[in-house]
Amino acid sequence: MPKFKFEYKITLAYLLIGSLWIIFSDKFLITIIDDIDFLTDVQTYKGWFYVLITALLFFLFLKRHLKDLRTTKKELENHKNNLQNLVLEKTKDLDAAFEQLEKKNKEINLKNQELEKTLTELKEAESHLLQAEKMASIGILTAGIAHEINNPLNYILGGLTGLQQYFEEEKIENEKVTLFTGSIETGIERVNAIVSGLNKLSRNKEAFDEECDVHDIIDNCLNIIGNRLKNGISVSRHFAKDLPVVKGNVGQLHQVFLNILVNASQAIPDKGKIEITTKNEKDAIFIEVKDNGCGIEQGDLKKVTDPFFTTKEPGEGTGLGLAITYNIIEEHKGRLEFESEVDKGTTVRIELPKS
Amino acid sequence: MIKPKILYVDDEPLNLMLFRANLSKKYEILTAESGITGLEIIRNTCDICAVISDMRMPYMDGIEFIKASARIKPNISYYILSGFDISDEIQEALDSMLIRKYFRKPFNLKEIDKEIDCPEQSN
Repeated sequence: MPKFKFEYKITLAYLLIGSLWIIFSDKFLITIIDDIDFLTDVQTYKGWFYVLITALLFFLFLKRHLKDLRTTKKELENHKNNLQNLVLEKTKDLDAAFEQLEKKNKEINLKNQELEKTLTELKEAESHLLQAEKMASIGILTAGIAHEINNPLNYILGGLTGLQQYFEEEKIENEKVTLFTGSIETGIERVNAIVSGLNKLSRNKEAFDEECDVHDIIDNCLNIIGNRLKNGISVSRHFAKDLPVVKGNVGQLHQVFLNILVNASQAIPDKGKIEITTKNEKDAIFIEVKDNGCGIEQGDLKKVTDPFFTTKEPGEGTGLGLAITYNIIEEHKGRLEFESEVDKGTTVRIELPKS
Repeated sequence: MIKPKILYVDDEPLNLMLFRANLSKKYEILTAESGITGLEIIRNTCDICAVISDMRMPYMDGIEFIKASARIKPNISYYILSGFDISDEIQEALDSMLIRKYFRKPFNLKEIDKEIDCPEQSN
């Protein structure tokens, strides 16, 4: 039997009961009442009675039905509220998770930056070490070469001294003799300067516990090279007021600043300026010598501290100046850096540790 | 007048020859090719005024030779010659007054002549 929905059932039942009531109650009334007027009255009351009963039944049905509906609606609303709360809570959780993720992301980024920094530092340290190693082996080599050159040079100098004595004794005074002995002497001096430079390059034996006043040393060097500074070069000093003295070797530091200042002045063709700046930082002092001369090509910048590397005219430089400078700064546990642009100038930075 | 005596020790004969040739007018030059020969000369010769020794020599280096020699004749003035730059050993010898001065090769004979304090003696 097919299942009917409630609305069909109740309508059918109403029709059935209503029809049966009308048929049977009318029949019954006709059998017991003969008076037509009275019958009409009773039928009217019967009609009213039917309406009342059905209205009561309708009321009861509707009440029950609506009550169910209302409960369901309320339950649904509760559900809806619950769901909304649940969604809100979940959203909050998600927000928190998102925030945490963002925080973690930031941390990772920071770590990444640190790693990148460490990598650059490592790379710098590596090139520094390579350079130090190169200089150390060059030092051993050059010390050996210097010694081997010095002996034959000694023969030449001894022979020359003997010859000069001989000419003096024999009273041989001749322009040619003076020219020849003079050229031998110049040759010996030149070789001697190179060998002496090589020796300085390989030396690491002197005391490094003298008190060095860098400002004093720079001023001394400026005095020493005063005559080599062309008229068109202006020197400006920006000295830190509270620069402390550092431990080191006064003589060698003179050599460092002489080399750098002479290079700066040679880099300036006619007119230009050299700026010397000193800074006092936490663990070290910094000295910057900046010129606006011809500059150094990028390819040459790495080679400037290599022994015998020079771009100067023959006889003007041995190519040992900056190699020696590098070694001295290294022995002072400092740092030497070059920055240069062709036709703009060169900046030399020196860092010397305070202790 | 008697010329003051100087002993020069070097393992390079050419250096010995040149030294002698250039300074023999003013001094009586004694030479030795090694520290051992040098010590023999020190023992057997009186009135040596100054000793100049090369630093790097086989068997016995300059400082070793001078130390041994100074034990025999402490009153002689000692000098070191070296083709190398000044070393810790030489610095120590200078500080302890074992040697008077350090000359770097190539040596300037005039400078050595000036430095050596050996007056000529009358008979």
